[in-house]
Amino acid sequence: MSENKNETPGNKDPFDEKIEQLSAADREKALKAFGGKINREYAAYFNSCVHCGLCADSCHYYLTHQDIQSLPAYKLGLVIGIFKKYFSFTGKNMPRWVGAKSFDNQMVKEWVDSLYGRCSLCGRCSLNCSIGINIPALIRAARGALTAIGLVPPGLQSTIETAVKKGNNMGIAREDWLDTASWLEEELQTEIADPAARIPMNQKDARYFYTINPREAMFFPLSITAVAKLFHAAGESWTLAGEGYDLTNYGLYSGDDETAGMLSDRLVQAMTKLGCKTLVLGECGHGFKSSRWEAPEWLGKKYGFEVKSILEVAAGFIREGRIKLDPSKNREPVTLHDPCNLVRMGGIVEEQRFILKHAVSNFIEMVPNREKNFCCGGGGGQLAMAQFSQRRLKAGGVKAEQIRKTGAKIVVAPCHNCIDQLMELNKHYRLDVKIKTVCEIAADALVL
Amino acid sequence: MLTIMKCGVIIAFLFSIASLSFLVLKTFSYGKKKLYAEPRGDVKKGIVYAFGKGMMPWEKESARNHLPTYIGGIFYHTGIFLALLYLLGAILVIQLPAAVILFLRVLCLAGFLSGLALLVKRIFSPVLRALSCPDDFAANIIVDIFLILSFLHTLRPAPDITLFLFASAAIMFLYIPLGKIRHCFFFFYVRVLFGIFYGRRGVFPHISYKV
Repeated sequence: MSENKNETPGNKDPFDEKIEQLSAADREKALKAFGGKINREYAAYFNSCVHCGLCADSCHYYLTHQDIQSLPAYKLGLVIGIFKKYFSFTGKNMPRWVGAKSFDNQMVKEWVDSLYGRCSLCGRCSLNCSIGINIPALIRAARGALTAIGLVPPGLQSTIETAVKKGNNMGIAREDWLDTASWLEEELQTEIADPAARIPMNQKDARYFYTINPREAMFFPLSITAVAKLFHAAGESWTLAGEGYDLTNYGLYSGDDETAGMLSDRLVQAMTKLGCKTLVLGECGHGFKSSRWEAPEWLGKKYGFEVKSILEVAAGFIREGRIKLDPSKNREPVTLHDPCNLVRMGGIVEEQRFILKHAVSNFIEMVPNREKNFCCGGGGGQLAMAQFSQRRLKAGGVKAEQIRKTGAKIVVAPCHNCIDQLMELNKHYRLDVKIKTVCEIAADALVL
Repeated sequence: MLTIMKCGVIIAFLFSIASLSFLVLKTFSYGKKKLYAEPRGDVKKGIVYAFGKGMMPWEKESARNHLPTYIGGIFYHTGIFLALLYLLGAILVIQLPAAVILFLRVLCLAGFLSGLALLVKRIFSPVLRALSCPDDFAANIIVDIFLILSFLHTLRPAPDITLFLFASAAIMFLYIPLGKIRHCFFFFYVRVLFGIFYGRRGVFPHISYKV
């Protein structure tokens, strides 16, 4: 089952042992959680798959592994099989005939292996589904059932726990974050030789509250400076926050709506406290999808404020003539990676292209691109799940090939999760490219 | 005998409709997911896309890369739809013009051949075999028999063929709510959901971004 899973021969994975020790009551609990997630849309999807298998080539896992377990319809079949067995008349009465499956420990193991370990929830299969089934939504619901019995792969679980306990997924202490922002402000002032340049913190009533992926503060501080430069050049009122600034939400990946809602609510609280007009989400695909599209559903209410991607804001600055970019400052060939959660499932498709058109002189599109683009392989919580890292790198081969074909020297990706995966692909597949965010490359082209 | 079989078809059809209606009610009883996020795009345009351009091979990679299967699927489903109309005509004893019968004959045959090809593909493709359960084969065979009998009936509407056609139709109607053929009922709803999802988010169609 797990030929690509990282395992030491002879050593049993404690997570697998946990699955083997599941009791009937545990499985019952998972089924109850699964049942609780079914709505009429999902029930319609469960009744619709015709097993045509046309989704196969749309999945980067299937394309690179060529095994049946990686085929989207097969993965979906694992979930539908359980629906049929426990929630449908025909599945209860003639299970073998209609492909209903028992939820035993072997099936739980297969759920973990396929639904966590062979899917980045990228949604490319849905676009290519003959019927149009929202496959990632169903796989997420099944992940949520596993979460109900504590079966979240350890790395993903620890990321969630860190975010819950420490206020951000990197566990950055408040003082350290404030120090970083202050240091970045000094750097910015020196770089652009303007002592008036600011990286405002906890600025009440600012127009924009800018949120980040905490990896930026820890490993990619230049991403924050780049955005600060754009805001400064546009003369815009904005702020960061000392708390509630983490836009990531790994509850999206564990299917745990309650925790996901709690994490999202922190941004809402910070917005309320600061009294800003617009919540601006930094370059993070799943953070955008979570906060823009899912959080209101998790919280069961409408936001009382506007939510935008930083790409929408930056593109607006260019369009309104508030910032000026010189494309000749970025002469190397540039290509763009479209993060699935931001583009295919988020709707931010053209803004990044508009920005790049103004910021670089040689832009080359990947093929396919926009909502049809391939996942880099880092989504769905894959980067946090170390036991599936070999598969993740292999699945990323499709993206590596896409990049190589463009001949670009710089890959721009408006998502820090994607950037992490692209950096690994760069090394693994020897692509010899630089990887940047959209705002970084726009800031490089800024005319001050 | 024909009258009895005709009644059988009607009863099977009513059973099918009643069972599918129950299935739909059960599906809807799960409750609707409320959407609170502010839409970015146009839901109606998304739905139009889902039923139009979104199903075209130049837009959909899976269709483009598997063109024979895609075309076969179109003929298969068109054939089924027309065979059902033909069945209605046969039950109501409506005399159809020769040109219409010829049209139906060609499409019933095309539908049958496409269904047969899809069945052969399912039998011989290791990937499809691994995805399939007995229902997948049964559903295909039941519909294929209905299509070939419809075709034969357009050639020679004799009582013996009519009897077989009605019998196959009755079996098909009885089977629809039990197996995968039920997707015919859910397909349209799922396409609407597809359109709502991508239309709302401004993915299909894209929000234009001009200078």
